[in-house]
Amino acid sequence: MSRISQMLPRHFGPYGGRYVPEMLVPALKELAQGYGQCKQDPQFQAQLTDLYHNYCGRPTPLYFADKLTKTLGGCKIYLKLEGLAHTGAHKINNALAQALLALRLGKTKIIAETGAGQHGLASATAAARCGLQCTVFMGEVDIRRQYPNVYAMKLLGAEVIPVTDGTKTLKDAVNATLKYWIQHLEDTHYILGSALGPFPFPVIVRDFQSIIGREVRTQILEREKRLPNHLVACVGGGSNAMGLFHPFLHESGIRFHGAEAGGRGPKIGDHAARFTNTPKVGIAQGYKSYFLQNDHGQLQDTHSVSAGLDYAGVGPELAWLYDQQLVEFSAITDVQALEAFTILTRLEGIIPALESAHAVARAMELAPTLPQDEIMVVNISGRGDKDIFITARELDRNNWMAFLKREVEDDQ
Amino acid sequence: MTNNIDRVLRERKGIQLMTHVVAGYPSLDMNVELIRLMAKHGVRLVEIQIPFTDPLADGPTIMRANQAALDQGITPDHCFELGAALAKELPDMGFIFMTYANIPFAMGMDHFLNRAAASGASGIILPDLAWDEPGGDYADLAQERGLHPIMVISPDTEEARLEKILTRASGLLYTTLKVGITGAGATLDQGGLDYVRDLKKKAGLPIAAGFGISSPEHVAMLRGLADVAVMGSHILNLLDHQGLEAVQDFLAACG
Ligand SMILES: Cc1ncc(COP(=O)(O)O)c(C=O)c1O
Repeated sequence: MSRISQMLPRHFGPYGGRYVPEMLVPALKELAQGYGQCKQDPQFQAQLTDLYHNYCGRPTPLYFADKLTKTLGGCKIYLKLEGLAHTGAHKINNALAQALLALRLGKTKIIAETGAGQHGLASATAAARCGLQCTVFMGEVDIRRQYPNVYAMKLLGAEVIPVTDGTKTLKDAVNATLKYWIQHLEDTHYILGSALGPFPFPVIVRDFQSIIGREVRTQILEREKRLPNHLVACVGGGSNAMGLFHPFLHESGIRFHGAEAGGRGPKIGDHAARFTNTPKVGIAQGYKSYFLQNDHGQLQDTHSVSAGLDYAGVGPELAWLYDQQLVEFSAITDVQALEAFTILTRLEGIIPALESAHAVARAMELAPTLPQDEIMVVNISGRGDKDIFITARELDRNNWMAFLKREVEDDQ
Repeated sequence: MTNNIDRVLRERKGIQLMTHVVAGYPSLDMNVELIRLMAKHGVRLVEIQIPFTDPLADGPTIMRANQAALDQGITPDHCFELGAALAKELPDMGFIFMTYANIPFAMGMDHFLNRAAASGASGIILPDLAWDEPGGDYADLAQERGLHPIMVISPDTEEARLEKILTRASGLLYTTLKVGITGAGATLDQGGLDYVRDLKKKAGLPIAAGFGISSPEHVAMLRGLADVAVMGSHILNLLDHQGLEAVQDFLAACG
């Protein structure tokens, strides 16, 4: 914590900021102040650490992927298994911490947006644990493709509200949650799930996710007695990437790789690769960053096989790191991600989330080109159980469809 | 040249209605008809919203109108052309372009303001372009072009911020009656009305009040407190569900 200065950064270069209607300003100020206090408060930190260890199962393993390394024939590949954290993804790191923050702020309700449903699930879980009422906003498209998480959220007592506007995915879920928040500021805290949105959300989410990178540092020093040469993460809004990267950003000689959703290809509406072609800066959802948008400034439709990467914007700190050429971005297509999904599953016995499979695919492109004495850490941000409705349909279509049909028929 | 907002507020006694239309919804032709009707019923202040994909301060009615307009291919150009045609036809009307930060950002603020001024507009409303952010303090640029920067505040706006906003605002200060988003409501909040009363005393500017106004009684409640009552979602709802005639009856009842 000592590396981070006392003042919370509101801007990252020209990006970030607090571009919101005036009426949100008091709540965001209260949040920044409350977070600033929690950061300094050893009691808050101790409570969080205890929950990370005894509730979330942290530290998550750093696993040497021997077979993947040998198969690719390049650098040594380690996998940070965030999928083994409680609720199956890195999202719990932030959701649980923000739920504690909500209690400190005297709020009784929390709300959250979700894409893949992992952040919604983590928020619903944290809410149950902390005795908070929870409402989750989720695009209609995502509700369909990530239904296992929808069911789990409801089981945990959360209300899941379908968002039917715009693209009906993560971006519109963020809009809906922000609007609900504006109407319920008094008793409600918004647990934003990625390192985006108006200040102070990008810094709060990044700080809480930095546990990933801090653990990796300790673990890799223990195993290899040196720091890694490459860090790889998938990038939706950027929370698992910032969480892994941030504790290493001041080190020289490390390359940071971000994998974006290349979707079906480079056509407008077919992907969520914000840094390919000519990236365009804009202001939306309360912050300035790169957004997929047309010449008039209208945000564009996106597509990805993974709901968590299917987002038109990107967190402002990553935008700044891109400008400084510190983080290198590449687009991974749906097909590549599914291929990497299958390979990791068969080679290492690890079923990754489709989001994380993008990072694996990027690692598979890079590793063969890198010397064997270099070390790479890939963030497996989540596990793949939630994607059963997508992967089964893609990889085992006939059996899966027959199964679904039987289930429905038996019920009637 | 006198700004039409100033002229309207000087010439007219009593509370003025300020209506809100989404350019291109349900169509540009319908916008013209609707605004003509409004003019006929004495409305002299009209907000023309340039549609945006992600309108952060708008509730379901206006948000869906934004989406429908965009689906028909409405661009900022269409909106400026609409404004220009209306300003020519209705030279006494005060037109205000309202949109979200990314529209002027994509166009370039100078160019955006030039286009707005050339279209005969009298003011600009950009609710999510924070004045305390880089590129957000556009008040001087607007005023240089004869446009009033109409700032939107809420009953929760801190005193210190209000003071800074007042050094930038001109023409009209827009306060919401509640902390919330746009949308027709059943009742007006007493706290909101009290806030308007206090604000009127200290602002030194005409006050527009809006968010939730949906009946002639609501307008009557604001009489003597605010200079302008803003109405958006309710008129859109009337138009959507009951047609132009219902809008006409409603405006007549408010008059
Ligand atoms: C497992 C997993 N990984 C990655 C992401 C992408 O989000 P972020 O870029 O914030 O890490 C998500 C989002 O839902 C997710 O569920």
